[in-house]
Amino acid sequence: MASSSSFITEIMRIGPLVITNTVVVTWGIMLVLGLVAWAASRHLSATPGPWQVVVEGIVASIEAAIRSVLPDHYRQVMPFIATLWIFIVVANLASLIPGLRSPTGDLSLTAGLAILVFLAVHWYGIRTNGLRSYLRHYLQPNPILLPFHLISEITRTVALAVRLFGNIFSLQMAALLVLLVAGFLAPVPVLMLHIIEAVVQAYIFGMLALIYVAGAIQSQQLKSKREKE
Amino acid sequence: MEFDGTTFALEIINFLVLVWLLQHFLYQPVTAAIAQRQAGIEKILADAQATRSAADALKFQYENRTAEWEQEKAEARRQLQQEMEAERSRRMAALQAALDEERNKLRAVEQRRDLEQRQHLEAEAIAEGGRFAGRLLSSLASPELENRILLLLLDNLRHLPEQQVHALRAAGQSGELKVISTYTLNEAQRAGLTEAFVVLAECPVGCEFDQDPTLIAGLRISIGPWVLRASLLDELHFFAEAQHATVRH
Repeated sequence: MASSSSFITEIMRIGPLVITNTVVVTWGIMLVLGLVAWAASRHLSATPGPWQVVVEGIVASIEAAIRSVLPDHYRQVMPFIATLWIFIVVANLASLIPGLRSPTGDLSLTAGLAILVFLAVHWYGIRTNGLRSYLRHYLQPNPILLPFHLISEITRTVALAVRLFGNIFSLQMAALLVLLVAGFLAPVPVLMLHIIEAVVQAYIFGMLALIYVAGAIQSQQLKSKREKE
Repeated sequence: MEFDGTTFALEIINFLVLVWLLQHFLYQPVTAAIAQRQAGIEKILADAQATRSAADALKFQYENRTAEWEQEKAEARRQLQQEMEAERSRRMAALQAALDEERNKLRAVEQRRDLEQRQHLEAEAIAEGGRFAGRLLSSLASPELENRILLLLLDNLRHLPEQQVHALRAAGQSGELKVISTYTLNEAQRAGLTEAFVVLAECPVGCEFDQDPTLIAGLRISIGPWVLRASLLDELHFFAEAQHATVRH
């Protein structure tokens, strides 16, 4: 079992593929979320019970948040953004379970999510505005700004990945150090801070992704609307 | 801080699978349930709104109907009032006419009754007067008065109109003469009377003399179908009948 860092461990190897604990925990999270979703949607009724109220409240809150940013296209981006929020929250909080660690403390996962956001931004932008119209917005308001647009695309994607990774990794590291230095119950306040930080970072990641997607979708629409006016 | 390509690729795939899982098992069913409930709520609201609109329409219609009904009621009451007034007027007029007719009838009956009573009273007064005059004349009657009446009769016989003379003559020639007096006539009176009738009849006449004290004074002479009344009783009867005729007319 190879260990490349203090948190990432290799679980198994399938040919050239190295399966780390990050992937295994992610599979576990996927399994749990899939089962919860399946269980939650099995007996939906017109008169909801407490469990259904909680589930509907979460989904409705996410949908309302997305709709407030993208009123016309919230149904398109809802699965992607909502899954980002739910997965990152659960992944961030996974380290509260003894023996587990947050998969978001792995740069490979956060980079993957950031790349997905990067691709989703262009996917939704092209799908909504068309390829030519979408690419044209890189030349506006002046073609001289094209390099800055390209740099911005790269840096914000890198920032997404590094921000989430850095926060979660540092929290886990701080909790480990406090545990090593101060003793058994000393990291509890740090873990409480971890809960807040987990929710906040998930919100930030998802909201930034939503804003990037909204910018891509609405870049040409706002311009054409202004021209019509 | 280490980047692993396999983890990177697997996490991308994992996330896309998770997106599909949650989309299939969570977002779609839950949003569908919410939408269904929302549609149900909106339908209930729409039904409630429709029911309220229908209720408002019914209320409006009812209020209008009530107002119309009030108007119809007022109109019907006014018409009924008019008909009652007309019927009352007609009946009052008919009653007034009947009352006038009845009053006229009553007045006529009263007048007739007054007239009859007055006639009756006058008749009774005349009869009483006749009876009083009869009693007065009875107390004043005497043979001398009867003789004077005889003389007056003989004088009248001499001055009778020609037509009556002819009628008496025809009656005297075919019949007998009957003389009824109150008092007993003496021979001179009987002879004078017989002679007067012989002259009147221009032929011999048989006379029969009789007495009737009820005549008060005077004579009653029958010649055939003719009767000459020259007594106070007959005069009283004559006056009473004349008064009766005057009163009746």
